[in-house]
Amino acid sequence: MNKRLNDKNPWYRLDLSAIVYPTLQRRNFSSVYRLSVILKERVESDLLQRAVDLTLPRFPTFKVAMRKGVFWRYLEPNHRPGPFVEPDIVNPCMPMFFQSSNRYLIRVYYYECRIALEVFHSLSDGGGAMYLLRTMTAVYLRLKGYEIPDGQGVLALTEEPDPEELEDAYMRYASSKVRPPRSREKTYRIRGTKEPFYTLNIITGILPVQQVLLVSKKYQVSVTEYLNAVLLYALLEKQKADRVFRELPVSIAMPVNLRRFFPSKTLRNFITMVYPCIDPRMGDYTFEDIVVQVHHFMRYYINDKFLNADITTNAAVTRNPFIRVVPLFFKDFVVRQFYKRVQDKQSSAGLTNLGIVETPAEMKNYVERFDVLMGQPFSARTNCAIVSYGEHLSISFASSIVEADVERLFFRKLVKDGIHVKIESNRKTEV
Amino acid sequence: MSYCVNCGVELDKTCSVCPLCNTGVHNPKQPVDREAPAPFPAKRGYAGPVQRTDVTLLISIVLAVTGCVCGLLNLFVFQKSHWSLYVIGGCVLLWVFCLPVFFHGMSPYVSILLDGAGIAMCFGIIAWLHPGNGWYLRLAFPLSVLTTVLVLLFAIWVRQFHGSVLSCSALALGEVAVFTMAVELLVDLMQKDPPGITWSAIVLTCCVIIDAALITIIRRTRLREEVRRRMHI
Repeated sequence: MNKRLNDKNPWYRLDLSAIVYPTLQRRNFSSVYRLSVILKERVESDLLQRAVDLTLPRFPTFKVAMRKGVFWRYLEPNHRPGPFVEPDIVNPCMPMFFQSSNRYLIRVYYYECRIALEVFHSLSDGGGAMYLLRTMTAVYLRLKGYEIPDGQGVLALTEEPDPEELEDAYMRYASSKVRPPRSREKTYRIRGTKEPFYTLNIITGILPVQQVLLVSKKYQVSVTEYLNAVLLYALLEKQKADRVFRELPVSIAMPVNLRRFFPSKTLRNFITMVYPCIDPRMGDYTFEDIVVQVHHFMRYYINDKFLNADITTNAAVTRNPFIRVVPLFFKDFVVRQFYKRVQDKQSSAGLTNLGIVETPAEMKNYVERFDVLMGQPFSARTNCAIVSYGEHLSISFASSIVEADVERLFFRKLVKDGIHVKIESNRKTEV
Repeated sequence: MSYCVNCGVELDKTCSVCPLCNTGVHNPKQPVDREAPAPFPAKRGYAGPVQRTDVTLLISIVLAVTGCVCGLLNLFVFQKSHWSLYVIGGCVLLWVFCLPVFFHGMSPYVSILLDGAGIAMCFGIIAWLHPGNGWYLRLAFPLSVLTTVLVLLFAIWVRQFHGSVLSCSALALGEVAVFTMAVELLVDLMQKDPPGITWSAIVLTCCVIIDAALITIIRRTRLREEVRRRMHI
């Protein structure tokens, strides 16, 4: 465990995933994602502020500031006032500078019936941050006078944080004797017109869960596998339409929640990436072929053995004594170059599925749905994030390019498969 | 509820066009609801300013103390020459260079002008200690002013006109040619030789040739695209 518990002023090492995100920080880019909950009634800002103030002390790893050491960055508790709730904006997930906003690395917004939580990825992954959002929403609803019990994702404010919630779970489980190589082939990258700074195009599709389940069942795959296949199909179609000189494989970067395979209560990052891929140079793939390919890929790679080997590869870097003593500025330079030249080119798009969000049954009377947004992509491409709650499955695309070709192909395929899709967007479009 | 005739998706009642394919919504039974709240707000957000008070204070104090201590040492201990003026000048120049870091919203043009003034001041201090043959007024000062003007022009081109890499390179080369010629002419004037260009003509010729090539590439769209394709990193 990385928290120095005996100190009066505890501090936290960045976990294995968290190390990368600050190095990618630019004037116009931060690794920020957004989780939001849509209630059935309008949000009152003063009550929401009280809910934030009451909830945050229960989540010490979210009430922190990013600091720079000589060799690594670290998180230290932030006792400055805030974070303060703000009216929502049209361009979510804007860069989060470490020294602004009283050094907080989370933001809370409200708009009509929506409460949105934006988190810098070094603090937590979507799974961990969802606990904060659910607890904050439950506290808000209690302040409104409703009876909401603890449990099913809502943490008790009266309890002290469990030490396991604060741990870097990677280090506990990274124990494989082999380390698979990290480098993969260069993949197709979407060519688009970059939007000006401070623009993030969002297209959210709201689907009935039952219909998606039925269609997935028809293809004999899970919902994640089906939606992955649809995104790969859309990317392949886009590559064809681009009439590229030389076709490249199409690949999706998909985070896997490791809590499913390695028991941990951690609220910090505990994910690793898998890259389902289709290579059109091998021949024309029909949608059915893609579904089969994705299904077998997922079944082959997503298990505790392969995932353990993957996190062991990552952990080896931070365990290496020679790498540990390299000054931070040099590590930053190397990591940034590696990400820009290798890692970022290994996927054509990102897709994350937070799965089914559970809440206490009493909360369901006041909550319409949850949304998740992967945030600003590092390069000109589109990111897709999926979450389901009750009857609704929400798919949100975030991109910083003008063209919505991939989104269009994706949703048209769903409609073609007989799924009802309702679209919401912040795009300013002209007739 | 309205559906996109192209995509088949249901659209929000506030949508006037389909966000996926830009097709307009024309539903006589349910016109676009312009009163209802849109799914996303219209207000644009901006990342908050970074607080740099601590860094500003630290660097300012370190530079001020260095200058003062050196001045006092020069006055009372090592009194042979006015060496502390170099250190004080250097500290002031460093502080002026750091101004954009201290004040985030500072105009870059003001910053460039202040940098130019700072450099001219440093040369002035050296000239005061070593007057020579009037090199400051005849050579250093005009060159400082010219360099400031050229950098300012380049900044204006990049920021106001959003010049491409090619046009910026063309401008930079043009400025190099002007600067070289100015250096030769000013050196001639300082040495009281008849003004003329000799060695700077070689630089000028090279710059003109490359500039001509760059301008041709900029003006020919097909050529420009070809160069972009072949030179992309």
